[in-house]
Amino acid sequence: MAALADRLETNHIPSLPTRPMLSRRLLSLSPARLAPLALAIAAVLASAATPADPSSPDVLVSRQLADAEGLDVGSEIRLSASRTGEDAQAFRVAGIYEPVPDPVRLGAQRLEVRLHLPDLLTLRAQPDDPAATERIDSLSVALTGGADADAFARVVSERSPGLVAVPMARISRDDGVFVVLDRFHLAIAIVTVLASTVFLLALMIMRADERREQTGIMRLIGFSRRHVLGEALVEGLFIALAGAIAGVLFAAASQGLINLFFQWYYDTALVFVRVTPEIAWRCVAIAAPAGVLAGFVATWALVRREITALIRR
Amino acid sequence: MSPLALAWRGLTRQPARAILAIVGIAAVGALLFDMLLLSRGLVLSMERILESGEFDIRVASSDALPGMGPKIEGRDALLASLTALPDVERTVALSFGTAVIDDPRSGRRTQISLSANEPRDFGFWTLIDGSTLGETGEDGRRPLLVNRVLMERAGVETGDTLFISGDREGHLGREPLAFRIDGIVDMPFDSRDEASAVTTMGSYFEVLGADDPDEADLLLVTSAPSAGTLAAMAAIEELEPDLHVFSTAQLVARFQATEFSYFRQVAFVLSSITLVFAFLLVSTLLTVSVNQRFGEIAALRALGFSRQRVVLDLLCESGLMVGTGGLLALPLGFGLARWLDEILRAIPGLPEKLHFFVYEPRALTLYCTLMALTGVLAAAYPVILAARLPIARKLRNEVVS
Repeated sequence: MAALADRLETNHIPSLPTRPMLSRRLLSLSPARLAPLALAIAAVLASAATPADPSSPDVLVSRQLADAEGLDVGSEIRLSASRTGEDAQAFRVAGIYEPVPDPVRLGAQRLEVRLHLPDLLTLRAQPDDPAATERIDSLSVALTGGADADAFARVVSERSPGLVAVPMARISRDDGVFVVLDRFHLAIAIVTVLASTVFLLALMIMRADERREQTGIMRLIGFSRRHVLGEALVEGLFIALAGAIAGVLFAAASQGLINLFFQWYYDTALVFVRVTPEIAWRCVAIAAPAGVLAGFVATWALVRREITALIRR
Repeated sequence: MSPLALAWRGLTRQPARAILAIVGIAAVGALLFDMLLLSRGLVLSMERILESGEFDIRVASSDALPGMGPKIEGRDALLASLTALPDVERTVALSFGTAVIDDPRSGRRTQISLSANEPRDFGFWTLIDGSTLGETGEDGRRPLLVNRVLMERAGVETGDTLFISGDREGHLGREPLAFRIDGIVDMPFDSRDEASAVTTMGSYFEVLGADDPDEADLLLVTSAPSAGTLAAMAAIEELEPDLHVFSTAQLVARFQATEFSYFRQVAFVLSSITLVFAFLLVSTLLTVSVNQRFGEIAALRALGFSRQRVVLDLLCESGLMVGTGGLLALPLGFGLARWLDEILRAIPGLPEKLHFFVYEPRALTLYCTLMALTGVLAAAYPVILAARLPIARKLRNEVVS
């Protein structure tokens, strides 16, 4: 592992593994993959009131674990890789961190401990397997500026049999969980917009019908069809823009409440709703033409009629 | 003329408006129906997958999800002791991990999911072709069951040989081990593209390059029909208090509280929004319609229609709109659900048999109730308007204008 690390000139950056949500692979991942921490937590004997021996190795604990076990900075904890708690080793809580929000693990209790890698390997050491202290699950590599990640990944895969190197960009690009969720939300939005447009069209037809007489009188006194349509278009545009802007403002105002609720419910720092300028512009860009079109269609059906039909009661 | 007939006439008098209103309600209703399907869809689907096998109890070493915690030690002794319990019919030990094969077509190494069960005759898989795991042959080939994806990817059939290697650094460089494909199986938790195989415990640890450590990731238990799940769980907990015992229902409840909770929340939020939307739609349409028909309503009142009759007419109109739109929403909703389900099932790593939108009669009942309630509440304001209409003034205004 050390030789490999040297060769790759790695930087120990915590990686963001792609975790399929419910696959048997996830359910069956060995402790080596997911839970040296979970193993250790299984045998944490926290002593929140007892100051740690300053010579004990440092660890970081997640906020959730600190709350659950009453830990503070400076507390001593004992971690063991055995489910019976034997061979526990003492560590000092050097800090409490907020876990990087992971939507895939939403709802899961983030009871985590972060150790220095050598400490974790020592904890997991097995007398009958000397190679255990040389074994890790993954490496995160930060390339120097301009380096081609795909080419680097190819070279690593070719030169190191058994290693799988994947650029992070590819992980999140095509078929990640969030891409799928994005498509799902887009599908919901499309259906909602279609339903809203139908609703709007119905309202516009009713509104146009209410103005039947007024339209007839305007036509009688000389306003052309084009003029009447133009007036309807401009009015529709104003209504659509006003509605879209009101909707965006409402969404922006309520996003804080939504995030507050779900962050409390799931005990996470994940941001669930974020109204960005791009989203706001997209909403206005969809709503405005829909409103204008609805007004145009409704008014067009009206102005096509004969004037006498319009003013006849 | 009955209120329903009068309401029908009122709607059909302006067909464009009525059609648009019904289409709008159908679209909103479809979305509402789908969100009701989504709210419990994952839970129902997972329940069906878990119950499709014969095992109703899972035993793990910790309260982490099965397979995510420490190994269960003393596998063989545990198997014997649990199977000996009168409340237990069968116990199977499982181990799962990964391995690699050399893809004969591309020549590249492909990772597969490799699992093992002991005893070998029963597992969490369903045999489709061939037979269950046999013995290691005289030619040294070890028994193997593969799923369809692996079968197609490797281009193998029952009786063929597949070479499998460990995929961990400590086991690389070893000669791949020869396996004989005894059968093709269907594994309930396999994702769409997952190539997976099952072998015996001994062969599994051979691939990993280790001696059998007498451990397992998970135990599956079938309770005796005479005892039932709860009795079997109690017996296991008494025998092995250090182990964690889950029933299928408890496992599903765990999923519902954690992994599935996001979709439950989304379903709740979207259901609420669609209900509000449907309410606004019907309420606005009815209110505008009533406003435009004040004269007509006043005339009907003057002719002798009671206030209650006018209210009933409006309720029937609302009911017709919401009822027709609501009925149309059902086939629309089923179609939309299939589309949305296909989108969500593209999430990588999900079991292929897992569905997000699952029909249950409860969803239909809830949908009908909510739509009916919406129709009634949406008609409330226009009904109030119509009921309080000053007849004489309205009639006079109609004549004067």
